[in-house]
Amino acid sequence: MATIEISLEEFQKFREFFYRKTGIQFDDNKRYFVDKRLVERIEVTQSDSFRNYFNTLRFQASGDELQKLTNLMTVNETYFFREDYQFKCLVESMLPAVCALKKPGSRIRIWSVPSSSGEEPYSIAIYLLEHWPQIANWDVELISSDIDTDILQKARLGCYSPRSVQHVQPAVLDRYFVRKKNGDFQICDDLRDSVEFTRVNLSEIADTRAYRNFDVIFCRNLLIYFDDLSRRKAAEVFFDALNPGGFVCLGHSESMSRITSLFTVKKYPEAIVYQKPEQK
Amino acid sequence: MGFVKSDQHDFSGDDQRKSSRDMPGLLRTLSTGNVAERRWAARDLAQYPQAITELLAQLRLEQDRTVREALFVALTQSGCPEAVEGLISCLRSEEANVRNDAIEAMKLMPDAVASVMHSLLHDPDPDIRIFAVNILESLRHPMVESWLLDVIEHEEHVNVCATAVDLLTEVGSSAAELPLQALRRKFPDEPFMHFAIEVALTRIQGG
Repeated sequence: MATIEISLEEFQKFREFFYRKTGIQFDDNKRYFVDKRLVERIEVTQSDSFRNYFNTLRFQASGDELQKLTNLMTVNETYFFREDYQFKCLVESMLPAVCALKKPGSRIRIWSVPSSSGEEPYSIAIYLLEHWPQIANWDVELISSDIDTDILQKARLGCYSPRSVQHVQPAVLDRYFVRKKNGDFQICDDLRDSVEFTRVNLSEIADTRAYRNFDVIFCRNLLIYFDDLSRRKAAEVFFDALNPGGFVCLGHSESMSRITSLFTVKKYPEAIVYQKPEQK
Repeated sequence: MGFVKSDQHDFSGDDQRKSSRDMPGLLRTLSTGNVAERRWAARDLAQYPQAITELLAQLRLEQDRTVREALFVALTQSGCPEAVEGLISCLRSEEANVRNDAIEAMKLMPDAVASVMHSLLHDPDPDIRIFAVNILESLRHPMVESWLLDVIEHEEHVNVCATAVDLLTEVGSSAAELPLQALRRKFPDEPFMHFAIEVALTRIQGG
C-alpha cells in the first residue's frame, strides 16, 4: 500500500466534522497527533484514502468507526485528582450555590458516574475533607456508579498502583491511604466506607429511576463514547436526577450545550459547568 | 456531619413507584401531571410505540420546554413513520425552538427520515427546504451528497442553494464540482454565492 498522507484541506475538513460530532477541537499544533491516528485507522480499515475513510466516518449507519476513532483521539486514563480544577470549582462555587438553597445541616448528594475503579469518587471525598471545612456542618452522601460490576468490585476494594496516585501529595497519601506490601496503596477503611458504589446503565430507564435528588453530578469523559441519541437520553437522566439548581460537570472536551438545551451554562472562575434551572 | 450513607434510596433498579406506569396511567399523567411527572411520563412512554399519537398531541399543547425535550427524545427513540410525520409538522411551527428541536430529532433518525427527504426537499415552502438541508448536516445516510446535488441542480431559491453549498463544502466529492460550477451561472449577481462556491471547490479539490 502506498504511503497515505493527510493534506491540509483534509485535516481542516476532518477537524470541523470531528468538532461538530464530539465537541473536541484540535488546534493546528495537534496536526501530527491527528494525522497519525487518521492514517492508522485508514490502514486498519483498508480504506485506501482519506476520502474513502471520511465517507465511512460520515455516513456509516452504526457509527462504529467514528467511535473507534474517538477512542483513539481521546486519552482514556484515570488517576487521582484528574482535572482537579473541577473539584476546586465544587468547593469554591458549586457547593456554596447548593448550600444557599438548602436548610442548614441538611443533606448534600453527589453522584460520580462512571466510577471506573474509584479514583474519581475517592478524589472527591478527599478533596472535600482537605479543602471544604464546611463539611463539618453538612451531611454529604457520595454515590458512584458504573455499568461494569467487576470494576465496581475493584472500586470498593480501593487498591491503586503508585502511578495512579502520582498526583497525590505525600501528606494526603499518608492520611487516606495504607501502603501495601506489594507497593500498592489502598484507601483507608473510613474513606472506603464513605462512598456507596452502585451499578447503573445510563441508557436503561428502569436502572436510572432511583437516582434522584442529587445536587452535583460528575460525568466526565463518558458521553464522548455514546452515540447522539444515547447522549440525549443521558442528559435526560441527569436532568431528572438533579435537584433544581443542581450541577453537572462534564470532561474538559465535552459540552452539554451540544447535547441539549435543558441546562444553563455556568461560567465559574475555575470551570464551566451546567446547572439545572432553579424553580421559579 | 460529614460523609453519610444513603438511608432512603434503593438503587437496585426495582420500580418502587406507587403511581400506575402502564400505558393508560402514563397517558393520564402526561396530560394532567406537574412538570416533573409529565417529563417522567414522556420518558416512560417511549417504550410504547402505540402511544405516538398521544405524544404528538401533547407536543402540540405542551408549554414547558423541559417536557417538550423529553417528548422529542421519546419520539426520536420510536423512529416510526408516524413520529417522523409529527416531527415534520413541527418544522412548520411558529415557534423557533420547536422547529429547532424537530430538526435535531430528525438528524438522529436517518432511516426513517430518508423516506421523506425527497418530498421535504421539494416542499413548496423554502423554509422547509432549508430545514431539510439542515437535517442532512448530521444525517448518517449514504444519499446525503446525492440529495445535496439534486438541490443545487434544481433549486431556484438562493438561500436554499447557499445552505446546500455550505454543507457540500464538507461532504462534497469530485461529483459535486460540475454542479457547483453550474450553480455559479444560475446566480450571476450573488457575490456571496460565488464566494461560497469557491470555498467549496477549493476544499473539495484539495481533499
